[in-house]
Amino acid sequence: MTDITPDEFGGAAAAANDETKPFADFADKSGGYFAQTFLAIQKAKLPTSHINWMAVIAGFPWAAIRANKVLFWIGFLIDLVAAVYLMQVWKFSRAAEQAVIDGKDFLVVRYEDWTMSSLWAAVIIFILGRLVFGWLADRIYFRQYNVWRVDHNKPSGWDMKRLVWAAVIVAMIAPLMLYRASQFPPEERTCIKQTRALAEGEEVAFKDQFDCLVIGEFPTIVWLNRRDEVTYPRDDDGNRFVRREAPREGLPPVNLNKYTAQLIDDGIGYLTAFYGFFFDGITTFLRSMLSAITAVFVGTPWIIAMGAILAISYSMAGARITIFVAASLGYLALFGFWQTAMDTMSLVVAASIICVVFGLPLGIWVGKSTRGQAIITPILDIMQTIPSFVYLLPAVAFFSIGKPPGILATVIFAMPPMVRLTALGIRHVPENTKEAALAFGANPRQLLMKVELPQALPSIMAGVNQVVMMALSMVVVAALIGAGGMGFIVTEALANTRTGAGILAGIGIALLAMMIDRVVQRANTMKN
Amino acid sequence: MTENTEEGVVVTRNVWKIFGDRAGEAMETVRRDNLSKAEVLEQFGAVVGVKDVSISVEEGEIFCIMGLSGSGKSTLVRHINRLIEPTGGDILINGANVGKLNAEELRAMRADKIGMVFQNMALLPHRTVRDNVAFSLELRNIDAYTRAQVADRVIDLVSLQGYGDRFPNELSGGMQQRVGLARAMAADPDILLMDEPFSALDPLIRRGLQDEFLELSKTMKKTTLFITHDLDEAIRMGSRIAIMKDGEIVQTGTPEDIVTNPADAYVADFVAGISKLKLLYAHTVMEPLEAYEARRGAVKQADAPVAQPDDDLDKLIALSVDQDHPILIKDDGNVVGVVSKDAILHGVQGEA
Repeated sequence: MTDITPDEFGGAAAAANDETKPFADFADKSGGYFAQTFLAIQKAKLPTSHINWMAVIAGFPWAAIRANKVLFWIGFLIDLVAAVYLMQVWKFSRAAEQAVIDGKDFLVVRYEDWTMSSLWAAVIIFILGRLVFGWLADRIYFRQYNVWRVDHNKPSGWDMKRLVWAAVIVAMIAPLMLYRASQFPPEERTCIKQTRALAEGEEVAFKDQFDCLVIGEFPTIVWLNRRDEVTYPRDDDGNRFVRREAPREGLPPVNLNKYTAQLIDDGIGYLTAFYGFFFDGITTFLRSMLSAITAVFVGTPWIIAMGAILAISYSMAGARITIFVAASLGYLALFGFWQTAMDTMSLVVAASIICVVFGLPLGIWVGKSTRGQAIITPILDIMQTIPSFVYLLPAVAFFSIGKPPGILATVIFAMPPMVRLTALGIRHVPENTKEAALAFGANPRQLLMKVELPQALPSIMAGVNQVVMMALSMVVVAALIGAGGMGFIVTEALANTRTGAGILAGIGIALLAMMIDRVVQRANTMKN
Repeated sequence: MTENTEEGVVVTRNVWKIFGDRAGEAMETVRRDNLSKAEVLEQFGAVVGVKDVSISVEEGEIFCIMGLSGSGKSTLVRHINRLIEPTGGDILINGANVGKLNAEELRAMRADKIGMVFQNMALLPHRTVRDNVAFSLELRNIDAYTRAQVADRVIDLVSLQGYGDRFPNELSGGMQQRVGLARAMAADPDILLMDEPFSALDPLIRRGLQDEFLELSKTMKKTTLFITHDLDEAIRMGSRIAIMKDGEIVQTGTPEDIVTNPADAYVADFVAGISKLKLLYAHTVMEPLEAYEARRGAVKQADAPVAQPDDDLDKLIALSVDQDHPILIKDDGNVVGVVSKDAILHGVQGEA
């Protein structure tokens, strides 16, 4: 194999040139061609249409010989995808023949369609892919030259021995991929049956066993005996007790997922059965707090509430924001969302208050103590990665449905930014002001109250703003577990495919969020 | 208490500070084997901050600690109000051992007895100038009325009248450092710790503040520890100067001592670039009249200019230009010596 050397580049004679000598040294074989190409790249004069035809023809083995990993994987992937489509052509045409035998005409049509489209896909991917590969080849190879120029130990030149490695990689990947493409994968149920059959000593064809193991779902390795059924009925005195019943004879064992899920369910059941008073206490507290807040938002006649909101927004954020607030309130009122919006606001305010009350001290702890940081930060990371829907599950499990569990799920979802931003603010208080305060005899409490918290305040307020925003978004989701408010309209519209109503409510929620955000942010910036 | 009165207001006795987990062990080894900073770092992973420093600051004096960055001067001064705990040694303030105070006593001492000024001002950005100045009083739970009165008086003292209700970020660097100074003086402490207070300022503003502080210091008579990396400033401000290098004190003395008798090559190097005009006096450069006349012939006393023994070189040069006679140095009307032009020139070079 040799790289093609176009005439206009002058061939190997140019390799002697000082300017291009490093290029030629790097490329080894076809040094003249690469010297001219790399020179053109350096001068930014390489034509856009430049393609390395050698690379187009040879494909990924060329990249392997040239020791360019990036190009090798790109080229290999292109060829592999094309080959997979080719295998599908074979698979579908065989399936079509089978369908003819079975006399299922609609299947014949479908499989023949798929055969043709797979064939076209294979051809197009192969040709276009190779062209792209050739286009990329010299450009990416030039990067390898730049790496090599810094460190001459990096691979360079032309070495057939590298083909061995490439062959090993291809041998490890390609056969199974192609086999998988040529077969219809077995269904999971078939494989489970097969496992039982094997356990009972029946003969199973090797091909079926192999298919189940390799090209189906990941084989179930762990099989566990079912747990006892646990219930918590009341005895004659009305006290709950634990009743265990062994699982019925003959039921098959379960996999790890089912076993663990059962374990969690039992745990939650136990907690709610024996410590219900604790969760009831929290529910009662939340409900009474919420009803006090709702009394203010919903209980106030709309005309007074609207006036109050406008007055507050004017004094906090000025005239321009107030015009926006007035327009938003107008929208909510005209489209009949007033009561619902106020309901949502009550939930948001209740959740935000709890977030701040718990998040602020937690944030201070995280900000001041390395242990606090080590303990809380991973928890916050997890809390923020879990999708918001998931929070609804434990809330429902412990607190059943309604507004209180909605608030709790919202609190869990909206708390992290409060803790994080408080901690950030505390940690960013300049060391020198703290030192100065200590030098003038401040005790730890004075240091916190007079130096750290005031200087962390902008960050803390940003945290509050975030909490309110996140609480609003979560309150909408919490409508799924009966928290009501604007989210209820949206979920109902979703269930009944009443798109118009859903969109109107969605706009209402967006306006609500923007209103709060603008007013709070403006208030923060005006203070500074 | 009484036994230490002659010892000075602020005394450090063999203070050591070594940073690192094995500080105690490192200190013992350094004491025994006299290791260098680099060796300690290699053997113990510890950094020597302050190495066996003993100083004694007299009441009312301005004691300058001069050294380059990393020489341990800021570390040393932070031991005095125990912002940093020493690895070994004692710190005495008015004879009382600072290391033996409990947390509450220490806070009381910091609030009442010691004022501190920082290089980067370290004012609280969310408080007005007045509230910044009154901060130490507030920490002692003094009522707002008294605080405001005291603060306004101190603000006047540093010539910031009318700026009491401004915020620090509305003030220039020089004005901010005046606030820093006012804050340090608000509680009327006996001792001022000044950690490179003027280093971050422009040369002109620095000069002005130095003069103002010297004026204030004359009237207030506060015992001051003044940290600086600038020998010129140390010479201007200090009644005595301690020069630090690698955590050790290399030389302690009056500015004139340091300039005329540098203890080692390191100090000599520093002093080389210093102008001697304000540091050398007639009594150091003059020679007896007889010795001069024996060498150069009789002096026409009527024509020769006259100066006092404590006039500095600057003044002697002014007298000496545009005429050929040497300067007669007279004390109470009696001639005590003669200064020739040659003597002045030697003096300018630092060879007294």
